[in-house]
Amino acid sequence: MKRKYESEEWFKDKFSGQMSIKEALRVLLSTPLENHMNVKSGVHSFRVRLTYTHSEALRKLQDRLPNNRRRDLVTVNNGNNLADSHERTVRNGDNHSQSESDSVINRTLDSMSDHAFCELFQLPPAKAFKPCQLTITCCRVPIYIGGRYLKFSRKVSQSRWIIDDERMGEASVEELVGEKVCLICRGDDYKFHAAGREDIDVRMLGSGRPFLVEVSNSRSVPSVVGVQQITEEINNSEQKYVRVRNLKLVDSEAWALMREGEAEKQKQYAALVWISRPLMEDDLKNISSIKEMEILQRTPIRVLHRRSPLERKRVIHWMMVENITGSCQYFLLHLCTQAGTYIKEFVHGDLGRTHPSLGSILGCRAEILQLDVTDVKMDCFD
Amino acid sequence: MEGTEDAAQTLDEELRSLLLPDPRDLPPIPPSSVESNFARYFAPDLLKPGHDQYVYRHANGLCVIGLAPTHIALKEEGGVTAVDFNVGKSDRSEMKVTGKRKRNAQHFESNTALCKVCANGTFYVVRCCVKGSLLEVNNRLIKQPDLLNSSADREGYIAIIMPKPSDWLKIKDSLLSYEEYNKLRGLC
Repeated sequence: MKRKYESEEWFKDKFSGQMSIKEALRVLLSTPLENHMNVKSGVHSFRVRLTYTHSEALRKLQDRLPNNRRRDLVTVNNGNNLADSHERTVRNGDNHSQSESDSVINRTLDSMSDHAFCELFQLPPAKAFKPCQLTITCCRVPIYIGGRYLKFSRKVSQSRWIIDDERMGEASVEELVGEKVCLICRGDDYKFHAAGREDIDVRMLGSGRPFLVEVSNSRSVPSVVGVQQITEEINNSEQKYVRVRNLKLVDSEAWALMREGEAEKQKQYAALVWISRPLMEDDLKNISSIKEMEILQRTPIRVLHRRSPLERKRVIHWMMVENITGSCQYFLLHLCTQAGTYIKEFVHGDLGRTHPSLGSILGCRAEILQLDVTDVKMDCFD
Repeated sequence: MEGTEDAAQTLDEELRSLLLPDPRDLPPIPPSSVESNFARYFAPDLLKPGHDQYVYRHANGLCVIGLAPTHIALKEEGGVTAVDFNVGKSDRSEMKVTGKRKRNAQHFESNTALCKVCANGTFYVVRCCVKGSLLEVNNRLIKQPDLLNSSADREGYIAIIMPKPSDWLKIKDSLLSYEEYNKLRGLC
């Protein structure tokens, strides 16, 4: 058509872009569906997905595309299997999702010269004799419940941790909170997101750590009372592993908000420390006077197998020693540090790979027995 | 800005009670971070008599290599005075390993030389002990060789090696446990 009418003015205006059959079909179907269901269509929280597949036509198209493009098709599919859930579906301008192969086909067709296109495809297309298959699915867009959690057990991990069919730890915050939320929202599935994490043997106390539970296809969006019910059921459960507070329904922007604050925020801890000599008055003064101290941490040996060997600069904002009556070599160390600081390694020095360390500051050997997070300083779900 | 005293004091009573341990539960000397996180193995007389080395294996498979307390270099008069990572073909302290996949890590055999330590005029070769990729050498030893005299079992470690699980299983049985080593050297 371009060949025939290119020079004409009216052609240039009307045919500048491609319209996919999908768009055309959507426009055609929208109004009858609206009338039939007595609703209005637009960007809303309830989605109706009509999937038309015609395997024979797809195969024919794939066969006709030049070889190197087919390879792209395969790799794109593989890549997307690993991608983050938030990037999985490719979206065009109208915020409608396309499958991975659709976007590759579009790219291929776009990049083809007109000449090549005309060679491969005949216009009008050959008549089809088999109908498409139609599947209809309905779902709600995900809802988000946010709040802060506290973890009181040293045997509960933050996220589900299963190796070789065996569970590590007794439970996980993810499951304890997520399952209850999903149950009461009557959803199909849930995802747990938190602002940072703590080790399985570290308790999360104080104001708690901000988290989000994303519930897919929730059939019962909870009201304020419903959210209260979730809070009570979690907090009154038999095992006092986890508590939640400030639970509420939030919108999808909360996810970005939570992630945004993560790297900058300060964290406060209380560590139970032992040193190889008795604690002196001077030590207390020495430690309290340290402000904004920069330390250099090589990637701790305990995570070196799965993380890059790097040297990280971190800041210890302040420290305070609290005596434990009845002991002269044990004490509680309260400290406030930059996000991303490895506290255990700061105490024992990680064979000298974290410097300065508590041991090097006090001039003796220091060991950490217990660690608790006492505050996650974020303006999130406060 | 809050004073640190205030910040710590604003911890409420409930939180305080959770944090403070019962002194009666505290052991007089707690296990060290090495004892708690690593399994300690020893290789006595590695290729030469008196060349006792240790292999501390972390649960994640990484091995820290170093001089055992009975290594003859540590018994020399004046102790260790210098450490040189320039052995054979390359200077081990020059290597740069990057990324999660540990690219550029050199693969060594268990008898490959890691470094030479000098004590009382004699050079002693320290070897890998375990076949695997060399992740890191303790280059602090270059400027502070005395770390070997004060704490060869901690800050004076020599290197960190990552063996393949299959290679570890092969060598594991030829190493001594902490108790076996103590018995052998009469340290009990």
